[in-house]
Amino acid sequence: MASRPEVFDSGEWIDWCPGCGNFGIVTALRKALAELGLEPHQVVIVSGIGCSGKTPHFIDAYGVHTLHGRAIPFATGIKLANPDLTVIVSGGDGDLLGIGAGHFVALGRRNLDITVMIHDNQVYGLTKGQASPTLPYGVKTKALPKPNLQDPVNPLMLALASGYTFVARAFSMDVEHLKKIIMEAVKHPGAAVIDILQPCVTYNDVYTTQWYREHIYYLDKEPGWDPVVRKDDERAEKLSKAMIKAMEWGERVPVGILYKDETKTTLEERIEKRIPSYRKAPPARQRIEVQGRPIINKRYFEEIFKRYLVEVED
Amino acid sequence: MQELDEVRFLVGGAQGTGLETAAQVLTTAYAVQGYRVCSFREYYSNIKGRHSYIGVRVNSEAQPAAPRASYHIIAAIDAESVFMHLDDAGKDTLFLYNADLESRRLGELPAIEEETKKYVGETLAGTGYGESLGEAICYIKEVKGARLVPLSFNKVLSEFAESRGIKVFAARRYANTILIAAIALMTGLGLDKLQRGFERRFANRPRVLEDNMALAAIVAKELEQYKNMVPIRRPKRKPRRLIVLSGNDAVAMGKVVAGMRFQSYYPITPAQDESFMLESIENLETSQGQLGGVVVLQTEDEIAAITAAIGAALAGARAATATSGPGFDLMVEALGWAGINEVPVVITLYQRGGPSTGLPTRGQQADLLDALFASHGEFPRIVIASGDHEEAFRDAVLAFNLAERYQTPVIHVLDKFIANSIVTMEPPTPESFEIDRGALVENPDKDYKRFSLEHPISPRVFLGTPGTIVWYTGDEHNEIGHISEDKVNRRLMYEKRMKKLEIAAREIPEEERAILYGDGGDFLLIGWGSVKGAAIEALKVLRDQQGLNGAYLHIRMMEPFPARYVSKVIEEYGVNRVIDVENNYTGQLARVVAMNTGHIVWKRVLKWTGRPIYVDELVHAVPRVLGGEKEVEVLEYGI
Repeated sequence: MASRPEVFDSGEWIDWCPGCGNFGIVTALRKALAELGLEPHQVVIVSGIGCSGKTPHFIDAYGVHTLHGRAIPFATGIKLANPDLTVIVSGGDGDLLGIGAGHFVALGRRNLDITVMIHDNQVYGLTKGQASPTLPYGVKTKALPKPNLQDPVNPLMLALASGYTFVARAFSMDVEHLKKIIMEAVKHPGAAVIDILQPCVTYNDVYTTQWYREHIYYLDKEPGWDPVVRKDDERAEKLSKAMIKAMEWGERVPVGILYKDETKTTLEERIEKRIPSYRKAPPARQRIEVQGRPIINKRYFEEIFKRYLVEVED
Repeated sequence: MQELDEVRFLVGGAQGTGLETAAQVLTTAYAVQGYRVCSFREYYSNIKGRHSYIGVRVNSEAQPAAPRASYHIIAAIDAESVFMHLDDAGKDTLFLYNADLESRRLGELPAIEEETKKYVGETLAGTGYGESLGEAICYIKEVKGARLVPLSFNKVLSEFAESRGIKVFAARRYANTILIAAIALMTGLGLDKLQRGFERRFANRPRVLEDNMALAAIVAKELEQYKNMVPIRRPKRKPRRLIVLSGNDAVAMGKVVAGMRFQSYYPITPAQDESFMLESIENLETSQGQLGGVVVLQTEDEIAAITAAIGAALAGARAATATSGPGFDLMVEALGWAGINEVPVVITLYQRGGPSTGLPTRGQQADLLDALFASHGEFPRIVIASGDHEEAFRDAVLAFNLAERYQTPVIHVLDKFIANSIVTMEPPTPESFEIDRGALVENPDKDYKRFSLEHPISPRVFLGTPGTIVWYTGDEHNEIGHISEDKVNRRLMYEKRMKKLEIAAREIPEEERAILYGDGGDFLLIGWGSVKGAAIEALKVLRDQQGLNGAYLHIRMMEPFPARYVSKVIEEYGVNRVIDVENNYTGQLARVVAMNTGHIVWKRVLKWTGRPIYVDELVHAVPRVLGGEKEVEVLEYGI
């Protein structure tokens, strides 16, 4: 099939199960990118492994389908080398919160301007339905031989504790709402994470579309909900409120923006403070040679490394 | 006294008592006079308290590049250093020790490991000496024939404390200066010249500089009778400038010249200093202003380090990571990803003693096969191994050129002996290096395909380039980068990748991948990495002292391997006159030679104590192995 760049459609046939929650995510992502007015070449979608790992192939933008758990550090290198790119990580819950959990924490600490979309369906789909790190203790989805022995990690709590400056949750089957959240996340300067609740129609018969429809509610419709940190001294209070929301699960499951900190500097800004030319000439766009020879000539070499140089006395 | 072409000394003491400073100050002071210096450092995986030592060679003619087992001066800051270096003393050695410690006993020194105490104690007992430091000193004098230089550190430091108006306990921090001053005095380096070394070390701390010089003057007075006892000849030829640098520094400098502007790393010995160095010059500050910037990212682990470097390379930066064995092991899955996606990423691998944590601060050359074969599946890679600082610098540049030309990961292998040794080098001329960025497309048309099957080397675009879109995946891919399991695509895409290595093998001259030193027909040594220095010097000693004329074949590129050239040289000598010299147990290079040439080199000189190969022990081993006395000679000199 031919690609349709105007709607970020790569034209590749999507080989997910019919009814998969991932369809909603791809649709919302394509719409968000188009509405943000981005060109396909300005965007890089970085993914891990598994069903969600295939996401980049379906988007008409630069795509980097990496290793299990490693989408975030790949994306980190891409973004730091060329901060003008819009970099979006699309990974599964096992990918980002299991095998890649260390990287998930590290991105929060760095507050690098990357958006992370967690495809949170509580199972490992492509290996036939094992429990993922977000499946609650004692739950037995249909492929599991026995109920889950391990407690889940709370992606929102982990994100808040790690220092993400934009933390949200959305539901993959509400494409319009998810699209808006993605747009907010991409526009946010700093590390953003969206925990996307997503049914796995093949392996998760507990947390189904039906279940989510009955339990989710929208934070933006809650009177007085204001997740934005505008001054340093608001941080503790807003974080505490976000954590209380993050811990709601069961009867009521909140979706929307839980936390947004506009005060913290990004890693790019911190680097620019130390390397003033960084934004103008980041690593990917620096001139390193002149007519095939190093830009660092003998004179420059001796200036840059002067503390290693010894002038020999006669 | 007769002037010497070379003076060798050893300083020993506990970690954290300023031995590195001592070596640095002296190295700089000699370098300012135009001497060529190299210093080898041995230390425990410990911050403070355990025994470390630095062996230094100061030469008036040529750059020394390997440790020698005989010292003109041994200067021991503490009791441990006396016991640990009993057998490093010889009849030409001046042995300086702290006379206040003569009653200390071997058994009561917790910093010496029990295993070590046992054989040191046996050495003393075996020749009729007890285990006090006083007895050990007698052993050094009477059995080893060294000349003793007893000095009361307390006396010197008290006088110093009084003269500078500081407390005696504060003065103790300057004990390393006693060694520095004594060595300078004995080798005929005047106080004014020694001051150059201190000035550099304490550039912005005039008070510390004055303190050091005051103490040096007291030591010089106290040890007046030893002045000029091992005088070193004036250098024959003086370069205008010298760089004083470690192997880590050499690689970092090469990377900057090569245009590397992104390095990600996770702290690990003995690689970490390279990244610190890069960060310290990140602004590339020159008289013409900032020439760009090097982004150095400390990551959460080595997996993040290599994957971030790969990401930066995809975006168009020259990018690298630096690590050691345990970190490299973590990078291996991503190495394969870079292979299948044809990413020019450079991995600097500093070998240390393995397996597992092994000997974290010691050296070994046991990761050659790991570098060659790590990661599942098959993909092209280039593996370069440097033999000294000069090569380390050049190879750091070469690594990026080859990585981008052949669009494949390059593993640049070094070892701790190079990484941590400090040497003098003449400043390089970067203009003499080429920057080859390989096939690139800046304005791709609509038919552009990243993995075009038209030629094994398909032009790259960087992420973000307008006019096209590219996908990368760890799955097998088609020409535009989408997943493909089609069998014909699989065959062709696989071939495309692998053929790049054949092209590299044709294009890179074999004589640059293996270098023959010397032309003696009696025997051939083969080796790689830091063996180079010891091997080349051993040739000279064997020729001068035993009339044995040999050559050394130094193998610099392990993949693509210079099979024809290595075969030819081995055949010229006949495999029975070839000796493999390596710092490992299994003879990894000999295995690689066998795999590539069919020649099995059985004669071997090997060492796996974690210490470097000394010229002297290699000189001793070669005739034994050559004469058939032993097929494999195992070395273990150096504590």
